Amino acid sequence: MMLRMLARLLAVLNSETHPGQISLGFCFAMVAGLTPFLSLHNLLVLLLVLVIRVNLSAFLLGLTLFSGLAFGLDPLFHRIGLAVLTHDSLEGLWTALYNSTLWRLEHFNNSIVMGSLFCSLLAFMPLYLLSNAAIRRYRAHILAWVEKTRVMQLLKASRFYSLYQSFSGLGGGL
Amino acid sequence: MTEEKALPPARESEGRKKPKNEGWIRWWGLGVFVGLTVTLAVVWLFLIDPFVKRIIEQTGTKLVGAKVEVGAAHVTLSPLGLTLSRLQATNPDAPMTNAVEVARITLSLDGVHLFRRKIIIEEMAVEGLRFGTPGQSSGAVTPSREPSVVAKLAATVPLPFFEVPDIKTVMATADLQSIKLVDSLQADIRKEQENWKKRLVELPDKATFNDYKTRIENVKSSAKGGVGGLLGAAGEVAAIQKDLEKDLAAIKQAKTDFDTQMNTLKQRVDQAIKAPQEDIRRLREQYSLSPQGLANMSGMLLRGKGGDWVRTGLTWYGKMQPILAQAQVSSKGPDVVKPIRGKGVDVRFKERAPLPDVLIRMATVSVQLDVGNLNGRIENITPDQHILGKPLTFAFAGDKLNGVQSIRLDGTMNRVMPVSPKDHMQVRVRGYQVPPTVLSDRVDWPVALGKAMADADLQVTVSGQAVAGQATVGLQSVKLTAGKPAAANPVIKAIGGALAGVTAFTVKAEIAGTVEQCDLQLTSDLDRVLKDAVGKQVQALADQFTKELESAVMARVGGPLNELKSSFGGLGGIGNELAARLTQGTALPQGSLEKALPGGLKLPF
Repeated sequence: MMLRMLARLLAVLNSETHPGQISLGFCFAMVAGLTPFLSLHNLLVLLLVLVIRVNLSAFLLGLTLFSGLAFGLDPLFHRIGLAVLTHDSLEGLWTALYNSTLWRLEHFNNSIVMGSLFCSLLAFMPLYLLSNAAIRRYRAHILAWVEKTRVMQLLKASRFYSLYQSFSGLGGGL
Repeated sequence: MTEEKALPPARESEGRKKPKNEGWIRWWGLGVFVGLTVTLAVVWLFLIDPFVKRIIEQTGTKLVGAKVEVGAAHVTLSPLGLTLSRLQATNPDAPMTNAVEVARITLSLDGVHLFRRKIIIEEMAVEGLRFGTPGQSSGAVTPSREPSVVAKLAATVPLPFFEVPDIKTVMATADLQSIKLVDSLQADIRKEQENWKKRLVELPDKATFNDYKTRIENVKSSAKGGVGGLLGAAGEVAAIQKDLEKDLAAIKQAKTDFDTQMNTLKQRVDQAIKAPQEDIRRLREQYSLSPQGLANMSGMLLRGKGGDWVRTGLTWYGKMQPILAQAQVSSKGPDVVKPIRGKGVDVRFKERAPLPDVLIRMATVSVQLDVGNLNGRIENITPDQHILGKPLTFAFAGDKLNGVQSIRLDGTMNRVMPVSPKDHMQVRVRGYQVPPTVLSDRVDWPVALGKAMADADLQVTVSGQAVAGQATVGLQSVKLTAGKPAAANPVIKAIGGALAGVTAFTVKAEIAGTVEQCDLQLTSDLDRVLKDAVGKQVQALADQFTKELESAVMARVGGPLNELKSSFGGLGGIGNELAARLTQGTALPQGSLEKALPGGLKLPF
């Protein structure tokens, strides 16, 4: 499983996909993965992921990673969400949203929904920019070096490499 | 930096193609999204029925404390509603019985409010509601509970005995408190006697005072021997005075102690003298042979049945409490509720048009009883009456039922002010044909109500935990039988005759106490009938029994009691001895010591 995920990550990074599409896949995955999955906003995330040319492999990989991360971060999200929801200066806003059917359906008044959504939205742009920069640096400087290393040569001869090839063959665009 | 030099960008890009530029919009993705959404909706439609069924069963089981099962659940989208068939809620006290079984429940939901996570049911129809139906398997989910205090209240009070019990049998099992009291006191008195005998030995006695007399005589003799003798005599007089004061103080203290102890013992002896009478009274009550018992015999006869009804009523009242249990009283600011680990907490904010989370505005209910169908409606069912601002109300009625001319039942359950809940119910029954009922199953004195036609009015109010209620039941066309036709006991015969002649009577019940522990007081004009018929005979029997009891008890207690009195009298001798010694001691200085010194010299005592 870990091998497959690593292969998928390398396939995505080494593909011809635009770095922005991969980064956006990670960012949307962060929102969907960190927040409770069956939330209304995740329907919007799914729509955006499918309609905007976002790298789906990056999204699915990110979703797996961030969902796992969310289990450990839930207590932190609960505290942040509760602090945001009970902040005096925001009470008017939350009261107005609470009286809206759409927002009640979103379940924004739950501490974990609010905390995780607040954190993931706050980290959205920084993650996008950082991922973009990291992918560019990887492709420009590390990829060629990695391919020449003895370890990589060994790996190319292994089952791992065939997996890698199979994902590369798909183009990683999805 | 080293790696950058080793792999220059130009060289790296040689082996790689440039990223494709296909634009940022993926139109086929929209189709996938629509396809996914439709698929999910279809799957949801297929799964919603079993999902709702499971949710209702889980929530119901948690609320009732016993298994709740639903035969089938069907959700309709237009109009939004739900139909449940064969809902069975197990009785937690009898796992093989369904406390409630409903053939069909149909309800319409407010869709907009459902999106706001509020279950608002505008109208609900409950058809074929039945109580106490047999279950197919045990529905127990928790260990069986202890019978409640109310259940203990309903236990039948034994009916009075109408014959003089065998006094030998009574005394063989009697636990006479008077004997224990006398024995204990006797032991204490003996102990005190021993103590005082020892103390008397230590106290100054006649010999001591004679010694004082000798010393005084010696002083007199020495005082006649000139100035030197006079001075010596004065010193001796002072020494005698000191010793005498000390001895007199010891006797006075002993006398005071003795008097105090005597008073205490006297009180205990008086109690012991009265104790046999208390034993007689207790034994007489134990055997229920008193005209007072007869005066409330209808209460004794009917208390068992009445207690059953009160217990059933309060049990059902208790079962309804979870439905009305208030969720959370809203405060001024945001309200944090339901802290569940891993699921976060929901923060509530002020709503423009507040509504409870769950509300059934109106439920039409058809109850299937043994006597026929009872139809009614319940309004405003919600655990959050303080939000709705209206109490739950209910009204049921049934006419021309099997064995009942009419039943009217209505009331309110008010939790609008959660700190002062108040529930009220009134029931009116007309023309109820009372089935044959055994009121007393005692072999020697059975009482049965053969038939009767009853009209009943009941009002009960529960304020917080306090229960208060009144009921009046008028019975007509009564046929009562009591005792056996060939009964030898004249009292039972007389009661049987009196009850056989009763064709109508009224029973009044007063319920008071708390939901946990309430009392039922029953009075009836039947008591007067019985008292008139056999009151004198019962009094005579009671007198005879009392006389026999007095003789038997006194035969057992009399001897020890006389010994006790004698021992207590013996203590009087000690008191007399102390008094005599005190008199001897106080008389001594006045009579002898002053005369020992020549004129002008006076002793200070």
